[in-house]
Amino acid sequence: MSYKIKLDIFEGPFDLLVYLIENAKMSIYDIQVSKITSQYIAYIEKMQALDVSVATEFMVLASALIEIKSKMLLPRIKPEGDEVIEEDPRMELVQRLLEYKRFKSAAELLELQEERNQQIFVKPKEDLAPYTREADEYLNLDLNQFVKVFHLFLGKKKKMEEIKKNYAKVERQKITIESRIEYIKNLFRFKDKKRLNFRELLNPESNRYEVVLTFVSMLEMIRQKSADVRQNVNFGEITISLNDKNSTKQEISEERGIVS
Amino acid sequence: MTSKKTIKSAFESMLFVWGEPLDVKVAAEIFNMNWKDAYDYFKELQAEYEQEGRGIQIREIDKSFQFCTNIENAEYIERLCTPVKEKRLSQSALEVLAIIAYKQPVTKGEIEAIRGIKCDRVIEGLTKKELIGEVGRSSGIGRPILYGTTPVFLKNFGFKDLKELPDIDDISSVVDMEEEVPDGLDLQQISIDFIQG
Repeated sequence: MSYKIKLDIFEGPFDLLVYLIENAKMSIYDIQVSKITSQYIAYIEKMQALDVSVATEFMVLASALIEIKSKMLLPRIKPEGDEVIEEDPRMELVQRLLEYKRFKSAAELLELQEERNQQIFVKPKEDLAPYTREADEYLNLDLNQFVKVFHLFLGKKKKMEEIKKNYAKVERQKITIESRIEYIKNLFRFKDKKRLNFRELLNPESNRYEVVLTFVSMLEMIRQKSADVRQNVNFGEITISLNDKNSTKQEISEERGIVS
Repeated sequence: MTSKKTIKSAFESMLFVWGEPLDVKVAAEIFNMNWKDAYDYFKELQAEYEQEGRGIQIREIDKSFQFCTNIENAEYIERLCTPVKEKRLSQSALEVLAIIAYKQPVTKGEIEAIRGIKCDRVIEGLTKKELIGEVGRSSGIGRPILYGTTPVFLKNFGFKDLKELPDIDDISSVVDMEEEVPDGLDLQQISIDFIQG
């Protein structure tokens, strides 16, 4: 990472040029282009020698200066001898410099104004809530009353906590897949059938939760290979038959199933 | 009809409570009076404070009024409480701000043409400080953003409005400057010219 050093003397190419012109005690209306150009370029070279990266804008002005310098060398009288004096090639630069200087001095005036204004103090806006109707209510209590109320509050809290100790959390028992599998297997035994329709696994008053649970249980049984399930057509009747060979899998349901 | 004395007294109290610059419009609405009258009352009040040389003065900012300290007491206030000073603006920021203040609405291109150097960062910084803001788009090619100063600028620099900006020459007359002899710094240049010649 390289260091960035800001030299606050020259804010731009014009700033440098104005400084050089003033330093040389030259009139801005009669710039000795050759002298100023060499000074300007010398300064840029010095900056480069010091490894200060020179902004392209400085280069642009340098080339503009050289252009003006070369134009100054040309005769300003037309070859026909008409004594037509062309516009001073420095004209445009002078105008730009003057405009820049004008704003530079405006900036100085602003700086003075800023400095002056920092000596004037104002109050930051205060919280006006106490003056508005939505004001917070202020308690008009003496300390003893306040302590009393606080004790009352603490007592209440303590009482509540005692009561809460006797609370027991009651939660609705949700049927697990394991118990449902057990239930299905028992149903087979109880009805003494080889095959059952899916519908027959449900009560008429089964809610959606039970239907889903039964279905998932059935899928689980397929996964465990403890049931054989068939459905001939889409949305058709599902028939289930127990796969007795895999009775070993039953242990899962015995381990965890006895909840309900 | 409430008497003038009462209204002025009320305005004074309102300024005290409000702290921030109080919009003349708001004050006028409270008394259901017209804006100009309310403004004149504030001006009278301001003059009274000024004549008496009170430690508290009333300043005008962007059609609002505010109590502030008398500048002559700055030193004593600093001895009392060393108030936090806002960081001053850099030279380049001041230059860009000056160009925007005097030439607004102005595009970045115009600012850069005057300064001869890019000013994206400076504009960004000034925008962040809420001293300048976008005020629209130029109808020129690419519809560049136009910048102008904000009320915060007036407040921070203590100007009552943009007309109060210190007088620099009519900027548009720069083009035909040959006849005109600019004052201030430029005048100095001319005199140097004579010495040289």
